[in-house]
Amino acid sequence: MPRILAQTTAMTFSLATPEHIMTPALEISGLTKRFGDKLAVDAIDLSVPQGSFFGLVGQNGAGKTTTLSMAVGLLRPDDGSARIFGEDVWAAPERAKAMVGVLPDGLAMPERLTGREVLTYLGLLRGLDKEVVARRAEDLLAVLELDGVDKTLVIEYSTGMRKKIGLATALLHAPRLLVLDEPFEAVDPVSAATIKTILRGFVAGGGSIVLSSHVMALVEQLCDRVAVIDKGTVAAAGTLDEVRGANSLEETFVELVGEQDNGLKELSWLSH
Amino acid sequence: MAVALTTVTMARMKVAMLRHAFRGTRAQTAGTGAVLGALLAAGTIYLAFTDSDLLAAGYAVWLLGWILGPIFMGGGDETLRPEYFSLLGLSPRRLAAGLLVSAFVGVAPLVSLTALLGLLVAGVRLGVANALVAVPAMALQLAVFVLLSKVSVAVVGLALRTRPGAIVSGLLNGAILAALGQIWVFFMLFGQTGVPAVVWYLPSGWGLLAVRGEWWALGALALLALLLLGAWAALLSRRAGAARPSTRGRRPMRPATANGAIVAKELRTWSRDLVRNHQLTFALSYGVCFAASPLVLGWDGMLPYAGPIFIVMAAAMTSNLYGTDGTALWLTLMTPSASDVRGRQLAWLSAHAPVAIVLTVAFTAVTGGPWPLILALLPALLGGATGLVPLVSAYGLVPGTDPHRRAGNPLRTSEDDGGLTGLAYLMLVLVLLTAVPAGLVAIWYGWAGVAVGVVTGVLCHWGFGLLAERRLRSQGPELLDVMRTGRKPQATMKFRFEQLSKTHKTIAWWCFGFGAIPLVPQGIIAAVFVANGMLRHTWFLATYMPPGLRYPVAAAFVVLGLAMYGTGVWVVRPRSSR
Repeated sequence: MPRILAQTTAMTFSLATPEHIMTPALEISGLTKRFGDKLAVDAIDLSVPQGSFFGLVGQNGAGKTTTLSMAVGLLRPDDGSARIFGEDVWAAPERAKAMVGVLPDGLAMPERLTGREVLTYLGLLRGLDKEVVARRAEDLLAVLELDGVDKTLVIEYSTGMRKKIGLATALLHAPRLLVLDEPFEAVDPVSAATIKTILRGFVAGGGSIVLSSHVMALVEQLCDRVAVIDKGTVAAAGTLDEVRGANSLEETFVELVGEQDNGLKELSWLSH
Repeated sequence: MAVALTTVTMARMKVAMLRHAFRGTRAQTAGTGAVLGALLAAGTIYLAFTDSDLLAAGYAVWLLGWILGPIFMGGGDETLRPEYFSLLGLSPRRLAAGLLVSAFVGVAPLVSLTALLGLLVAGVRLGVANALVAVPAMALQLAVFVLLSKVSVAVVGLALRTRPGAIVSGLLNGAILAALGQIWVFFMLFGQTGVPAVVWYLPSGWGLLAVRGEWWALGALALLALLLLGAWAALLSRRAGAARPSTRGRRPMRPATANGAIVAKELRTWSRDLVRNHQLTFALSYGVCFAASPLVLGWDGMLPYAGPIFIVMAAAMTSNLYGTDGTALWLTLMTPSASDVRGRQLAWLSAHAPVAIVLTVAFTAVTGGPWPLILALLPALLGGATGLVPLVSAYGLVPGTDPHRRAGNPLRTSEDDGGLTGLAYLMLVLVLLTAVPAGLVAIWYGWAGVAVGVVTGVLCHWGFGLLAERRLRSQGPELLDVMRTGRKPQATMKFRFEQLSKTHKTIAWWCFGFGAIPLVPQGIIAAVFVANGMLRHTWFLATYMPPGLRYPVAAAFVVLGLAMYGTGVWVVRPRSSR
């Protein structure tokens, strides 16, 4: 297993070239989205430097998924722009989208294909060579332990397996930026450890990652930069230490987004 | 007591869900459906005043509508899914009873109940006792309609868990619907004139029999309702556990290009998705049975059209191509350099064209012609279908339920079955229209029609495909959003209208509301009347004019109508950001 892992890492992830060091991997400016009367995302600015592992944290409904969807071109913003390595996602989608791998939360896949077929299909869609696709699919399935279910269609996958095949599709074309929405949700601890290793390897190889989560411990463990999103705005952003200060990230987070007068309530009728 | 509480709770839950669902475009679809249904119901009640044979036949049609409708139109009403209650530990019978009561809440049952008022009318015309019997008869008859519908959907749903089941039920359903469409053939065969007596003995006629004094029929209805309830409860308990797709015959993907990969993906979906198996065999069975049924009268003139009918029906079945794949569209959006539409067109063609060509050539060879017409229709329809399927599904997208989130009813691919039905009918009409030029030329000039068919087929395939591709490129995120939220974005449109000043709103209302009057009756129709020498015709102004002014007046009305529509569009046109 570690041998295959190392191979994949070396093969898949290229180093950033010096002339790109200045351009942020992802730059979001003034992104705004309104659903009916509700302002879901309110003029968010974020900059993800190259080579950083960026964590986006926030409560349910804070606007994380909406922001990330707009950042990669899956949801049209009402205002603002998103650039991937300087390429505007909406003005130059072909160049921008070729550089990013995305794992969205809860979207469908080509459900009647097996995992290997999904990767083959997507690799060819991305314009990769047939042999390259076959080799990378083999590696990814092995690393993510999906090679044992080669006859299973994606529609029969468990939630955790869906996350893993989603991650495989995001990595397949060796992008320079990964945008992952809740990548560890429903994933078992063993697979989570594997995924963490892959992601760390990706960053070590010069890649950049943005991931959203509401598991603070995980973000603290992985990320070097954090942004706290609350009610569609950025409540705090910076390096992990800048944001959390002397406290843990969880304490800082509750302090930033928790309602002051709304203390922890217990459900008295639950006790027997 | 507990049963009553469950049923009341479920009914209230359904009311709440319908209130949320019937907003925006879905409210419009439901409203259109209700109006059409009310017209049909009024027609049925009218029959009660005239001829009881016809009334019995009318109820037979309602019955068939309840049984077959949901199978073709998205699996029937499933606002309350049985799965919602699986953790409550309800007994199957109690669950079925609760679901049955909530099934009476909705537009379709209300419309049917209105139609069943015909029983009351028939009863009143016969006497007091008959009128009194009519009231329970109406309730029981409606219960039988609803339950038969639920049981038939559940049976087909079970069949769709295996490939043989999907294929057999597709063949059967296609044959039944074709036989209904060709009912005249069977009337002629049996020398039947008027209404066949069998309509009285179908369960749909029992209510009317009871009203006419044959009291046993009322008991029979009650018994049937109980039996169906038991059957439905049994089927509901078998539905737990989602359908397992077949897992046989995995051949590796061979293509080396993006287009080839899309074709391979689509063809695998065609062969592995049992709902698509069902749709394909349904269209095939419908085409063959529809075209072959006049053979029982010894007339083979319709046989060559089996292939063309198959193409049209198959296109209607796939009219929501993008919707059935759900949010998988995100992958298309993330790979803008590949052309999804072209791949899907090729896949559609390779799944349907071989069947259509074999059917057409074989059957036309049997009848010995008319070769020019048939060979003109074939390419025109194939091209029309492959062009229109992606185009209509990209423009008229009905948000589907993502395949991995669907409940135990495999026919239910969307919550908006009214939208699906409308889209299917639209597709039928549009695909037929694409073959009109080739057909007309073939009828008038023979073989030249084939050339026209090939040209229009290629043009439709290329042009409509291009438009669909553009739509996906420009509106892709919006379409994805529709699928994700299940709601069509009418908010912006409405917003725009709300923003207009009162004067502008009034102008727009007048222009859109009355523009048709000068354009159609006073303009186009009046011109047709003038051309046919039909003068001094009711209110068509142009027909009252002196000879030299007739056409100019009609033309002026056409211009006025167009101008009114133009003004309306100009008033509500999207302004650039202010």
